Amino acid sequence: MSINKDGAVQNARRDLAKRLNIDPGDVKERSVEDSDFPDMSLGAAEDGEMSGQMITPGWRIRLEANGQTFEYRADKNQVRLYKYKGKNYRI
Amino acid sequence: MNRNNIFIHIALALVLILVAAFAGQLSRWRKQLKTNVRIVPAAEKKQPTSAEEIALSETRSFGRPEVLVKFKSGVSRSTIESLTSRFNDRIEDSIENVAGLESIDDLDNADASIVAAQYRAIPEVEYAEPNYDIELDEIDNPLEPILPSDPQFNDQWALANSGQRGGKKGADISATLAWAKTTGSEDVVVAVLDSGVDYTHEDLAGNMWVRPAEMDPYHDEELGTVDDLNGYNAIDGNSDPMDENGHGTHCAGIIGAEGENDLGIAGVNWKVQIMPLKFMNAGGFGTTKDAIEAINYVIDRKKAGVNVRIISASWGSTQKSRALEDVIRKAYENDILFVAAAGNASTNNDRSPHYPSSYDVPNVISVAALDRHDQLASFSNYGVKSVAIAAPGVEILSTWLGNQYEEKSGTSMATPVISGVAALILAENPKMSVDDLRKRLMDSTDPIVALKGKTVNGGRINAAKALE
Repeated sequence: MSINKDGAVQNARRDLAKRLNIDPGDVKERSVEDSDFPDMSLGAAEDGEMSGQMITPGWRIRLEANGQTFEYRADKNQVRLYKYKGKNYRI
Repeated sequence: MNRNNIFIHIALALVLILVAAFAGQLSRWRKQLKTNVRIVPAAEKKQPTSAEEIALSETRSFGRPEVLVKFKSGVSRSTIESLTSRFNDRIEDSIENVAGLESIDDLDNADASIVAAQYRAIPEVEYAEPNYDIELDEIDNPLEPILPSDPQFNDQWALANSGQRGGKKGADISATLAWAKTTGSEDVVVAVLDSGVDYTHEDLAGNMWVRPAEMDPYHDEELGTVDDLNGYNAIDGNSDPMDENGHGTHCAGIIGAEGENDLGIAGVNWKVQIMPLKFMNAGGFGTTKDAIEAINYVIDRKKAGVNVRIISASWGSTQKSRALEDVIRKAYENDILFVAAAGNASTNNDRSPHYPSSYDVPNVISVAALDRHDQLASFSNYGVKSVAIAAPGVEILSTWLGNQYEEKSGTSMATPVISGVAALILAENPKMSVDDLRKRLMDSTDPIVALKGKTVNGGRINAAKALE
């Protein structure tokens, strides 16, 4: 199923609220930018994951909660949390 | 008439006969050239603008000085030199058999007809005429470029760069000259280890590998027997490698979209067998374990008799896997080349390795990407020790899902260019070992300034050189 920009932002907000155990309303949308990512895991490969080395257009989503900024990366196929506590996650 | 006068008259007569004979021969040459060759004044030579023209411009050409000038008998050498110097010209050559006939190079690069007129205007000159470039037209020439009928070929700058969309003319892999030698062979099998391949695509279907009827289906101890008629799907452990993403279909088209079929594009190989292997999903990513399973499948099929000599791997990550390295080494032991994308992080692989392209295994050849200006792509990884070679990888048109064609960028796109050239080499040299194949690729590049200090050999692959 294809994901659009708004859907990707909603998925990211829900994911972050769940991880931080806070209300989704407390997650602020700081920025959403169109971006070209270096590969098909959006430059956020999980452990043991390989991806196609093709430039992939998508969105860089920055959310704010608990005084911190968190980066999500998304395209039509996926949403990923980038370097959360040092690791990448596909949500 | 004394004896001396007789000799002088005889000598003059001989000179006149030689001049007349030379003029007559010139006339005959001209008549022949009208039927066999096109004559273009060197100074008026048009710059090529289309893919066809750039391809034609790659035929043999003959460099010529600008004008041929015949000085009158008795004009001394020092006078000739003085006159040419006065016009800021240079004597390029003296035609030994015709006294006074000089080929002269104009250092100002003026129009040849104007230079010739300048010489005709001085009393010491008998005649002067522009020199002509002679371009072979109908004469059989082993380096004559071959152009396919595929309607979107002119958009394939990687194969024939005519300067389309502001690119640099000639910044390509010289595919049209390579095709004069071979357009590929259906005896060569290339494994596209990727997101699968849309094996029903109109421009690929004729070049897809199908397991020979006499060959047993694939048997895996864990999966049992898999009817691998059209390839292998390592994600689901079944026989359907249909692409759900498009990435693998794109890579397959670069290697071997059918050529000369009046459809879409031409691959580096017009004829080849593409073995589709699926280990990446609809999102374009997959697990190391499934990649290993797919490579294991290739080795098994090679042992079973399939002439699969190349694995094209347009994928990777920064995570090292000893198990993946081991199975790639096993592929080497089975004479299989492993062509791998260098990665798209704009980083130096010598310092921050990217795998599998950075594995130190003899069959691995790591590929960087070039743009249509012969510049290293802004995204491309590099490494003077660890990135072997470069190929076009920006705005590359190829096959896509649903009988479509799309332009994509990445070292993913440069990798199948190298795989495709390797397949052409094997079409001409079926018994070539994997070591020799890799060496041939490394020895078959055009030096590119932008690659100096960026890749091992600092060059862009040249398919025509690879087939010399």
